[in-house]
Amino acid sequence: MTKPILSIQDISKRFGSTQALDSVSLDFYPGEVHALLGENGAGKSTLIKILTGIYQADSGSITFEDRPIVVRNSFDAQGHGIAAIHQEPMIFPDLNVAENIFISHRNRGQIVNWRKMYADAEEILSRLDISLDVRSPALGLTLASQQAVEIAKAISLDVKVLIMDEPTASLSAHESEQLFKLVRSLRQQGVSIVYISHRMEEVFALGDRVSVLRDGKLISTAPASEVTPEAAISDMVGRQLGDTITRTDNERGETRLVVSNLTKNNVFKDVNFEVKAGEVLGFAGLVGSGRTDVGLALFGIAPADSGSIAFAGETVNIRSPQQAVGLGIAYVTEDRRGLGLSMPMSIQSNITLPLLQKYLTRLGLLKTNDERDTAESFRKRLNIRTPNVDTVVGNLSGGNQQKVMLSKWLNIKPKLLILDEPTRGIDVGAKAEVHQIINELAAEGIAIIMISSDLPEVLAMSDRILVMREGRQMGIFSGESASQESVMTAAMGQANLSLGEAV
Amino acid sequence: MNQFWRNIRPEQLRELSLVLIIALAVLFFGSQIENYYHPRTFNRIASSVAILAVVAAGQTLVVIMRNIDLSVGSIVGFTAYFTGRILVNSPEMSPVAAIILAMLMGGGLGVINGLIIAYGNVPAIITTLGTLAIYRAVLVNGANAESIITSALPTWLVDLPRLNAFTFGEIQIRAVVLLALIVVIIFQLAVTFLPWGRRLYAIGSNPHAAEMAGLPVKRTTVSVYAICGALCGIGGFLFLARFGTITVVAAQGMELQVVAAVVVGGVNIFGGSGSLIGALLGTILIATLEQSLLRWRVISEFWRDAVLGLLILLAVTTDSLILKNLRSWWGRSTQTDSPSPATHQAEIEVEIEEVAS
Amino acid sequence: MNRKSLIDRLLQWETLLAIIFVVVVLINISLSPFYLSLQNQVNLFHLSIEKIIVALVMTLIIINAEIDLSVASIMGLAACVFAFVWDDGFTLGTAISAALLVGALAGAINGFFVAYVGLPSLVVTLAGLIAYRGLARVLVEDRSIGDFPEGFDALGQDPLFGPLTFGIILFFIGLAIMIVVLQRSGFGRKTYVVGNSIEVAEYSGVNAKRLKMILFILSGLVSAIAGILIAARLGAVRGSTAEGFELDIITMVLLGGVSIFGGSGTLTGVGLAILIILNMRNGMSLANVSGNAQTGVIGLLLILSVLVPNLLQWVQTKLNDPRTSGQT
Repeated sequence: MTKPILSIQDISKRFGSTQALDSVSLDFYPGEVHALLGENGAGKSTLIKILTGIYQADSGSITFEDRPIVVRNSFDAQGHGIAAIHQEPMIFPDLNVAENIFISHRNRGQIVNWRKMYADAEEILSRLDISLDVRSPALGLTLASQQAVEIAKAISLDVKVLIMDEPTASLSAHESEQLFKLVRSLRQQGVSIVYISHRMEEVFALGDRVSVLRDGKLISTAPASEVTPEAAISDMVGRQLGDTITRTDNERGETRLVVSNLTKNNVFKDVNFEVKAGEVLGFAGLVGSGRTDVGLALFGIAPADSGSIAFAGETVNIRSPQQAVGLGIAYVTEDRRGLGLSMPMSIQSNITLPLLQKYLTRLGLLKTNDERDTAESFRKRLNIRTPNVDTVVGNLSGGNQQKVMLSKWLNIKPKLLILDEPTRGIDVGAKAEVHQIINELAAEGIAIIMISSDLPEVLAMSDRILVMREGRQMGIFSGESASQESVMTAAMGQANLSLGEAV
Repeated sequence: MNQFWRNIRPEQLRELSLVLIIALAVLFFGSQIENYYHPRTFNRIASSVAILAVVAAGQTLVVIMRNIDLSVGSIVGFTAYFTGRILVNSPEMSPVAAIILAMLMGGGLGVINGLIIAYGNVPAIITTLGTLAIYRAVLVNGANAESIITSALPTWLVDLPRLNAFTFGEIQIRAVVLLALIVVIIFQLAVTFLPWGRRLYAIGSNPHAAEMAGLPVKRTTVSVYAICGALCGIGGFLFLARFGTITVVAAQGMELQVVAAVVVGGVNIFGGSGSLIGALLGTILIATLEQSLLRWRVISEFWRDAVLGLLILLAVTTDSLILKNLRSWWGRSTQTDSPSPATHQAEIEVEIEEVAS
Repeated sequence: MNRKSLIDRLLQWETLLAIIFVVVVLINISLSPFYLSLQNQVNLFHLSIEKIIVALVMTLIIINAEIDLSVASIMGLAACVFAFVWDDGFTLGTAISAALLVGALAGAINGFFVAYVGLPSLVVTLAGLIAYRGLARVLVEDRSIGDFPEGFDALGQDPLFGPLTFGIILFFIGLAIMIVVLQRSGFGRKTYVVGNSIEVAEYSGVNAKRLKMILFILSGLVSAIAGILIAARLGAVRGSTAEGFELDIITMVLLGGVSIFGGSGTLTGVGLAILIILNMRNGMSLANVSGNAQTGVIGLLLILSVLVPNLLQWVQTKLNDPRTSGQT
């Protein structure tokens, strides 16, 4: 076996009371894809940030080509040929593609030679088989193209170790395939690739070596051929899976929502479905397939262009979230931090926000006692683990934040609850609790739409599953007829589909 | 059509439209005002542009990297006064030495701004709001209630505003106008062809990514404020030459005119786009309107500022419309098969960052 | 990062302001025996009354993550409208109503472009600053309009209740109302939420655009009230009335600890900052420091108020953990 190009020995890092990394040692070899697995908070991001100089390790050492190195900032990392492609691409929207590739180069002379830069950029892109106009501004590029630019940037810097943090999280199936081709060609050129992903198929299709982190510790590291997905998962979660909560059946009420030919130009087209009271309709599909956009149209954030929505028997034209809330439609966003919760404010203030007018006196003053009562009741009902409801939401764990967000929307007594990735980024225990809550809410007669990328979750928790791909509805599976394979095939659109029991 | 839109940058479209608007304004006032097409009109507009254009060039650099400098008026006043004071005391000083002195003074004040912003992490708007007051206060204290008067200044300086660089038919190009043009051209070339200049756009475009990419954000910030200060120094020198009499309130409020010129010139107040040529055109448009309204008998000259305010609103509104349309054009032309919401998302991200800034 | 340090910092902030205030008062006492006299204490408010009234609304605007640079121009415009209408032979009531209406309208124009067109408030209100001032000059040109009825001038100049003038009473009533609005009302809660993140507010069914619109109209209206007050206090109006006041007003709010990025700040802090600024100016006047130098000292205070905590924090991390230095 060749010698490792990059090794880390006994790296530890502590943030306040959390041990983010605990004496982790790993070797990375040239021409190898090293897959790094772990749940959220396992320490993967911290490790990347230490390798790229954004954080400094508390202890331990990094060896590059047999020499110990110090990475103080990303410029140091670049100097050693270490580069990272982050989850959200680090793109300069106002600069064009070529400039984005070369902006951090320091050896291209004192004067920008635009013609040479365009030629060089074109050369690199064609070497990678990426077809992009080097003169077009990065502003309008799709996420996939932005990632391609980032990879080209890394290549142009003569990268030896390339770290990719969930690069496919926002890509369509086709775009992901393109990316895999790129990764393989880089491996062939002798680049050492650190590949982080939650998608097992990818990890085992691409990875030569698989390492698992849990709670900041290295649990296992082995050649991919010697690891099974099941073993990797059990290393990640620390126990065997199988005790997840499943859907408990309950009575269905009247048809609550009927959506016909709902269309938003360039986003989604001809979506048709209905949801009954007490039913959970799962929305499956890859990120970017239009699932969230349908949810946003129903909630009035980005209203549809055509088609009709009948809610509780009446045709409605939802143009704003205020109107949706008034009708009893709640949308629990996937982006807690950016869209869901006001992080610097208290649990109590967050929970009462959508229905604030209920907590006002005639003069418009807040009835803080009523607010507190409401918040307290949700704290008990959803088991939000916090000493009191004055706690600032930003200080809660992901799971507890998710529960605050649920409380906020349950408080409007919704007739239709749209859950977007309800268990993303929360730990296993909280996930089971959220699933339990979903069951209870359905039993209370709430119609639920659950958008999720977590396929086992969709299969376990939905009564029926609507699958979307690239803005089109691919079909609706009944709970029994759906399997991981059939849903995935519909979502990825790889084979000719026989859309089983499409309703 | 797609190809056309893809190869055009909003700056270029803006510059073109500004040239058009200036031409239309000149045609309009030419038909309204007697003797409008006279070299004197040109000279009057040009010399009022010179000072503002130099300062606006500095402000443009600052705004491109998503910052702002509200202290420019105070720096211009400061350098105008103290350069004048030094010239009164040592009249034998050479013109070149005097202008370098003014630049050093202004640059020094700019460095103070830059250091507080870059290394003290104080938001630019707070820092320069503070130094606006501080620099003016230092000026007032240092001046000891004495003004600079024209008769005490060396003659070469007093004659400078009327000095011709060369004559172009009946139109005379004044030396100060030439100086302003040279400054704008030098810095336009610098932001186009120097890595330093490109970094300004990168930092203004996405400060977080600039940090992550290891660009020297702090150093660049200080350098830009230093240059802005030095250009204010030149502005101060020109101010001194033009008016001769300098009191402690010299150039007070100039920061608003300068920001207005930059915004009308199409420089995005949230950084990342805009050009020095654009800012110059903005300055010219404003000066043309001001000088022309002064002579237009149909409405009172007092309408000048009201029109300027309207112009700013018009400029940013069209900017945001143009930008939106170009975005969707780029979006459509780069999307191949799927109606992916990624562009939509990228746009939201950009906006979020803008709001955050 | 965690809750305790946040509260600590808030406490620090207002404590810091309170300490500065006490120091200023002590220095002033040592400077002049006249300082503590009732007349001087009333005067100190009286001379800046228009600015501090507008600072109350500016607090809400900046908490909402916007800025209004046009307040001083609206003050000037409203004063000029008032004087112009009065001068034209209309009644006092008509003149005041016209001024208030114009103020609200000017605010509504700002609000429309910020909230519904989506332009940055910095630029929109810069345009407003220039344009409203321009309109004021169109109305009165280079004249000075005075000769208001005696009762009106007295309202701006003479004590109304004990030693207090109408404006001072108005300010304290306004302060009380604004504290209740900001800390205890649904409107205040939404102001903070929108200031923290307009996206979160909209995804929670809050009508953020309407909120911004209301705030800008309020800002215009209150500026107009302040404009009428200044007309009464000075007894005459010119095109340049209240020119440049916006910087003082914004300085008061920022020094009060309101974040320029929105979402945080209290009227307690702003109230303390107002006390500091007024007393400092008063003390410096007693010590014969010029007006411009006073502004310079306040500018320095503004920068230091952000710079010093930043430096302290930097020193602290440096001391605690030498390895994490350089990261923020």
